[in-house]
Formats: sequence, C-alpha cells, structure tokens
Amino acid sequence: MTVLEQKAALRSMMLIRAFEQALARRPDHGFQLLSSGEEAVAVGLCSVLGDQDQLLTGGRSIGPALARGLDPNRVMAELLGRSSGTNRGKGGRGHLADPTAGFFGAHAVVGGNISIAAGVALSMQLSAKEAVAVILFGDGAFGAGALHEVLNIAASWKLPLLFVCNNNQLSVSTPRSTALAPRNLSDIGLAFGIPAKTVDGMNVEVVAAAAREAIAPVRAGQGPAFLETISYRFASHSTTARETRSRVELEEIRARCPILRQTAALVAAGVMGEDEAAGLKREVDDVVAAAIAFSDASKYPDPTEALVDVW
Amino acid sequence: MSGKAQFATEKIFFREAIARAVREEMRDNPRVFVMGQDVGAFGGSYREFDGLFGEFGAARVRDMPVAEAAMVGIGVGAAAAGYRPLVSITYMDFMMLGFDPLINYGAKLRYKTGGQLTAPVVVKTTAGAKGQGVAHSQCIEAWLMSVPGLKVVAPSTAADAYGLLKAALREDGPVVFVDHKRLFPVAGEVPLAQAIVPIGKANIARSGTDLTITTHSFMTRVAMDAATLLQSKGISVEIVDLRTLAPLDIDTIAGSVKRTGALLTLEEGQVTCGVGVEVIARVHERLGPVPSARVGALPAPVSSNRVLELACLPDATRVAIAVRNLLNPVTASPRPVVSSGER
Repeated sequence: MTVLEQKAALRSMMLIRAFEQALARRPDHGFQLLSSGEEAVAVGLCSVLGDQDQLLTGGRSIGPALARGLDPNRVMAELLGRSSGTNRGKGGRGHLADPTAGFFGAHAVVGGNISIAAGVALSMQLSAKEAVAVILFGDGAFGAGALHEVLNIAASWKLPLLFVCNNNQLSVSTPRSTALAPRNLSDIGLAFGIPAKTVDGMNVEVVAAAAREAIAPVRAGQGPAFLETISYRFASHSTTARETRSRVELEEIRARCPILRQTAALVAAGVMGEDEAAGLKREVDDVVAAAIAFSDASKYPDPTEALVDVW
Repeated sequence: MSGKAQFATEKIFFREAIARAVREEMRDNPRVFVMGQDVGAFGGSYREFDGLFGEFGAARVRDMPVAEAAMVGIGVGAAAAGYRPLVSITYMDFMMLGFDPLINYGAKLRYKTGGQLTAPVVVKTTAGAKGQGVAHSQCIEAWLMSVPGLKVVAPSTAADAYGLLKAALREDGPVVFVDHKRLFPVAGEVPLAQAIVPIGKANIARSGTDLTITTHSFMTRVAMDAATLLQSKGISVEIVDLRTLAPLDIDTIAGSVKRTGALLTLEEGQVTCGVGVEVIARVHERLGPVPSARVGALPAPVSSNRVLELACLPDATRVAIAVRNLLNPVTASPRPVVSSGER
C-alpha cells in the first residue's frame, strides 16, 4: 500500500467504527448486526475490488457496505428504516444492497448468499466480463451445506468467485472450536484444488495483501480462491443479544483493535502524526453525524409500500 | 398470414412441447439457459430437453452435480445478475433442498432491494406418482402458493405446457413450472405459431351445468374421465383447469361456480392446506356459501407399491362418487377408502 492508501484504509475503518457506534445509540429501529473489530477484513478486501466486481455478504454487512463505498447517508437511512435508504427502507439490517456500486447485497440467511454469489460469478463468466464476484461469509456459514456444494461447482466450472471466510470465531454464542472440524478453515481449499490461505484479519495491510494475491488468479480466469481471515467481533451477536464472553476476555480482544494498530503503525513509520489521526476521526464523525441527520430528515415508507415490488 | 395458418397445429408429446418452448426462447434470447441434473446430452430424465445440448452446447445446457440447493441458488443468482435460467429439478420432492434460495432470496429479492434487483428464474420440476415411491412422487405445489413473489404454473396439456413455459421464461420474477411424470408421454395439438399462454389465466376445459371441478396438471385428465362417467348418469360437469396456481384466476373459477352452483376441488397432493382449500375459501369470499368438497390423495405417503399407490391417489371413480355425494347429500354413498375402479 502507498501511504495514501494506508491512510485511506485507516479512515475507512474509522468511518465504519464511528458509524456503528452512532447506530448502536439508536435502538429505535430494532436491533443491529455490528461488525466492530472486523473492519480490517472489510476494508482490506474492498481495497482490491474494481468497479465491475460484485461483493456479496452475509448479514453482518455494515462494514463491507461502507468499505465498498456505499453512501453512508443511504446506508444509515436504510438501517433506520427510511425510504431514502439503499433499499427504500425495505431490506434493513442484513439486506443492504446497491449493485450499481458493486455491492450486490447482503443476505441474512447464514450461508444463503453463497450460491447466489456463484450465480453472479456464472453471469460474469457467461458474458465474458472481466469481473469477479466475492462472497464474504462468516465461520457460522462454513458448516452449511451450501458452501460445500458451491465450492465443488465453482471449482469444476472455474467460476470467477473469491470465497472470503471471515472467521470471527463465534456463531452467536457457539465457538468455532466446538462447531467446525478443520484445523484451518482454508484447509478445505485442498479438497477442491482451490488456492487457499489463512491470514490475520486484524491487520488491514495483511488482509489487503492476501486479498490481492488471492484475487489475481480468479481475475485471470483460473477459477475460484479461498481466503480465511481470523478476526474478533467486539460486540455481541446483535445489539440486543447477550454477550457470552467475560469482561477480561473482551478487554484482551479489544486490545487487538485494527484501527489502533493501523494508527500506531503509521505513526511509528513517521508517515502520520497523532494530530492527523485525530483529524481523520473528526472527519468521519462529521460524516456519521450527517448520515444520522439525513436519516432523521427522511420519511418512513408509506404503509402502501408494503405491496410495492412484491411481484 | 391466413387465418388457417394462424391456427395450424402440430401433434406433439408434452415433453416435446417443453423442449420446443425452451428451444425457441433460447434462440430468441441469448440470456436464457438451462441447468440441472442430466439435462445435457442425456436430454433430461424424461427427454424433455431432447436436442437442446446439441444445438446450444455445454455452456447453455449445463449438467450439474446432484446438489439441488446450489442448482437453485446459482440459477437465482444468475437471474438476479441479468440472465434467465431454467433450473431443472428432476423430482418436485427435491425442490425442498432448494427452497432457501428460491423462497428466502429469489421470491423476496425485488421487494427487499426496493426494486433494484429481480430474479427471473424458472424452476421446472416434475411432480406426481408413477411408481417411484414416497420421496419421488409428491405434489407440493400448494406449499408454494402462499409465497409472496413466487408464481406457480402446472399445465395439463402439451399446448399449455408450451405456452406457459414460454410465458414463464419471459417473466420478470421467479416462476415454478410444475409438470408431471404421467403427462410427458401424452400427445396434444400445439399451435405452430408461438402461442404464449398467459400466467394467471385458468381454462374451462369442459363446459357443464351441474357442478364445477377445479383441478390442475395430470388430475385434469382424471377429472375429464370422471366427467365422462357422470355424463352417462345425467350429471353435467364443468372442469376448470387452473393452469396457474399463483396467482389464482379467481374470476374464471368464481364465474364457473356461479353458473353451476357447486364446487369440487381435485388435486393429486394432500387436501389439508391444499390447492382446493384456497379455491374453496376464495370462492366463498366471492360468492358466499356454495356446496363444496375436496378430493386429493389419502393422508398418507405415496408408496412405490402399485397397490398402495393406486389406493392413495384420486381416480375417476372416486371423483365421480364425490361429485354424486356432493350433489345428492341425502342419498350419499359412503366414500370408499380404496377405489374399486381401475385407473
């Protein structure tokens, strides 16, 4: 990464964090699925995607949507149920979508978006588009049959599909260690002849480098690749779900913060001062405040919208 | 074009009508393609895709591993990204494996994205019993009728199979096209012209005055046989072939029942929460109380055992008895659990 890219990545992670913190203070539209702690995965991954690429995710999608460059105003409006949202307020948490911005969409059924992503990849292959479909899913989806069916087909057909398993090591409360058999989740690539790797998901530059390496053969038409990022979710499953980890454990986890890490790295390298970091933080706070204001000034859907766009 | 040429037909098998519809749509629209198990050089389990692989090749007639969830999901995803796939699920029983992408994603997509995306996918599947047993015989189309955003068609003739499949491949949202094992080898007249059958329109397959039977798919033929039996007893039956189950053509159904004054629903699936329940409820809402009854499979799995399969399914004799019981409740004979008639 160039220095500019390093700073952009930091700012993008800061935006996600500030956005989610502001959203968490707004329980008026129900619970939310936060990705705080996992910003480096979203930002590192999106840093290697082009305009023609499409990103699909599971339900925990705020970070990936913002990292992909979606308008924070419209994302916030969507999550607060307003008609000015990306999905006219009808998708809400777990279903953000803005395909024209390269974010084909989130889908909140665990594992449910994996075969959809393969269909998007197939459409790219059929139309000889120089593009890649990326499916970002959690370790919770790793045990689902859909993944295994799609890995097989994607490998057989050499689909332009990048699998990214963001292993935050928890499915609601169930630890990955009690739910999944493989030592590394990327070991599954071997069975299907797919290049696969496991990397530290708490370091944005590591994720970006690994994503760049992983996506290159996919883009070159050599078929799918698989990337596992090990990360930690800072909050409970949702803003209304019980936290199952101890205070001590959470403190240890939060000390691995990818934003603190990137800030410290840039300061230590002498390419950014503390004041510049504070400036970035003020910038993203302004963006988030504007997003909240935009949403609050927007209307809820008219009840007649319930029957619009059904058939 | 002369009027005569416009109405000229060819007599082809139901399975050939399917192949013709797909072939024409694939020729007209490069975004239509076929995917599923055994659809390639094999031509489909019932040869309903005969010739497509030879004409269009492996990229557009795609054989798949036995992975129904992925088949439907990839089809839905490709549809959302701008293609018009036909996904073939060999047995309707196996559609259950693909319900998640079809129902949770495909049927909701237009709504949940605020109109940004739609999934114009056709899931073609084969229902009905023909000796293949408890997990290869089911008719579960009624399950699908309650899914907002999902259209369901189930033709009974070659012409309707042809016309409805073409319509389905031009729809902007997901359509489940249900055919039937016992219909594939049945021949029928199909227009030589590209005759689309609109989705959402029932067909009065036989006119009558005493009672309306609503039915669909293979059971339309059973209803026709029952009507012939009843004709000799002086009972005139009108048959409404629903053709589309979702959205239901309540205007045609209620119009018929208003004329005849009685309604029997017939289906090969279960009567509990079945197609007939919905038909009777909608007719009641439209017309008020009407003498009504349901005929369907016995509340039991459909065995591959020939004796038990016959025992389970409605046949013309059973339908005729149900009609007489409905019209003459005082002299009604008890409904036999097992039909004595041959199919």
